Amino acid sequence: MITSSGLAQALIFGVANGCVYILLATGLNLIFGVMKLVNFAHGQLLMVGAFIAYIVTTMAGLNPYLAILVSMGSVALIGIGMEKFAFSKIRGTDKLNEIFISLGLIYVFENVARLFWVNEFSIRIPSPLISLAVPIGDVAIGYDYILAIIIVITILIGLVLLTKKTKIGLAMRATSQKSDAAKLMGINVNRIYLFTFAVGAALAGASGTLYGILYSFNPTIGALPTIKAFAIIILGGLGSIPGAIAGGLLYGIAESITAYASSGFGIAGTWQDAIAFILLIAVLVVRPTGLFGEKGE
Amino acid sequence: MKNMTYTPTLLRSKKLYFAILAVAIVAAVPMIVKSDYIIGQVLTLMLIFAIYASSWNLLAYSGQGSLGHAAFLGIGGFASALLVIKIGLPPIAGLVLGGLFSAGIGFLVGLACVRLKAWFLAMVTFGFSVIIVSIMTQFDSIFGGVIGFPTIPIAPQVIPFYYATLGITVVSILVIFHVMKSKWGLAFKAISENELEAKMTGINTGKYRLLAFVISTFFAGLAGGLYAESTLFIQNSIFEAYYSFLPLIMSVVGGLSTIEGPILGSIIIVSINSFLPLTDKYLQPLGPLFPGVSNVGPPLRLLGLGIFLILIVIFLPKGVTSLLQKGYNYLRTDTTKTKKVEKNGKI
Repeated sequence: MITSSGLAQALIFGVANGCVYILLATGLNLIFGVMKLVNFAHGQLLMVGAFIAYIVTTMAGLNPYLAILVSMGSVALIGIGMEKFAFSKIRGTDKLNEIFISLGLIYVFENVARLFWVNEFSIRIPSPLISLAVPIGDVAIGYDYILAIIIVITILIGLVLLTKKTKIGLAMRATSQKSDAAKLMGINVNRIYLFTFAVGAALAGASGTLYGILYSFNPTIGALPTIKAFAIIILGGLGSIPGAIAGGLLYGIAESITAYASSGFGIAGTWQDAIAFILLIAVLVVRPTGLFGEKGE
Repeated sequence: MKNMTYTPTLLRSKKLYFAILAVAIVAAVPMIVKSDYIIGQVLTLMLIFAIYASSWNLLAYSGQGSLGHAAFLGIGGFASALLVIKIGLPPIAGLVLGGLFSAGIGFLVGLACVRLKAWFLAMVTFGFSVIIVSIMTQFDSIFGGVIGFPTIPIAPQVIPFYYATLGITVVSILVIFHVMKSKWGLAFKAISENELEAKMTGINTGKYRLLAFVISTFFAGLAGGLYAESTLFIQNSIFEAYYSFLPLIMSVVGGLSTIEGPILGSIIIVSINSFLPLTDKYLQPLGPLFPGVSNVGPPLRLLGLGIFLILIVIFLPKGVTSLLQKGYNYLRTDTTKTKKVEKNGKI
């Protein structure tokens, strides 16, 4: 049965879902924009972020929403390690090597996680708000979803302030436009790269924590979010933050509405993953550089 | 002037001797090795994935890196299997028609991709491989891929099928080699290096990009048909992202944009996949270190593989063929010269 309140619920779920992806996509986009690097292991950072948050909430008894900060910090450190010991070594070689080294990193992250996983099943970060919900008609929306949306908005505002109002943000934008010229202006480009990677990874850590609060996860969860985040970036236009936000919302809502509609009609559940790509292909056939993209790579 | 025309064939290439030697070795293996597992599961798979990886590499040669080649592997596999089982065509006709069907779909996907650049194209092809699974699941009553069904091979397993596969592989690689070295291949290369400049020199870039798509997806479909027959079974799992990344990994390991790269890559990756699980039993003593894991073998082994991948990219960014090339150059240059360089150069 399709009802208006059910549709409203699906819409909110879609926005919350989209928000988690926006955070991941923005991190990926930031790294791409500044470093011209595609980190295909970005979804694994989400998984690691969720796992770290799970550990600190269950073992240290920290509130999961405070665990976001712990998770952001630790994943940022992991990101710095990735950049320093993997990606910086292959800078300037063939672009496909980036995909390849990412695949290696995916193996490393997933299997280290598998070795230290608490049990062999999917886990979920226990939220103290899980039983609280806002009633809308005959359905209800959990506080967790609303809080997730608020947190994502806060983080995005912080990110915009960082890139637009601070000195290091200026240096990041300069590096993104032309790294050689930035180097000549006395910017330590390698340090900017490290910082950018850390910020991007921290965003993945935050989105991982929210993901872990809203959904259950396991060591292999990272692959699909990476591809979805990437699809969002492509949909919105490479390097564009408003594009990533628009793409993410469109994506999350389309996915959630499809899931809701497929329970009402006789449609296979697999369309939930496919719908976003149908949207993506439709957009790219009309606009080859995405919704907000100016020019391709 | 005659030498200026660009018509190199395999006959003029020094690689011919290597190629003949390699085929002779591959053909002779069943006389020495008597294991059905090695021939049926390892060597046959190497041959099939050599076609598949070469087809991907050809597309990448034209500057179009697909991340959804599994779609065409699967389409070829399903089309050939269904044509044989439902319509009753002979398996060899099913195989060729499966490839052609895949090329037809490839043409349509290629049309959508013609204007797209690098990552945009990668995402569209990946998306297509996700969408195709939804279509297969939605119309499962026609395709039957959710549970899967048995296939009929072109030749009985193991040895006859092995030789049939070898024959098809040799012909396919020869065709791909010829395309890469022909005028078309030159156009592909020009497009991949700089599309705008290629357009300015009068190359119809759209046409050649589509051409690369059609040829590549034909061979991917052919490989899919063979793959379904080698395992005697086909299922929707053939569309998994793993199969999309496989030809990319193989081509990069072996060496991108070379003819021997994907073949070498296929040999290396299939060997790793087939023989690495044998190390699991040696990893078992480490089990007590990780109390949460019941079988410590796979994660430790895959962790090792990941580290190996990272190291190979860092130290051999041009793939394994670059190592072979270095070795070949070393053998060719006389040692005195090399020593001089070593003295004057670093260390």
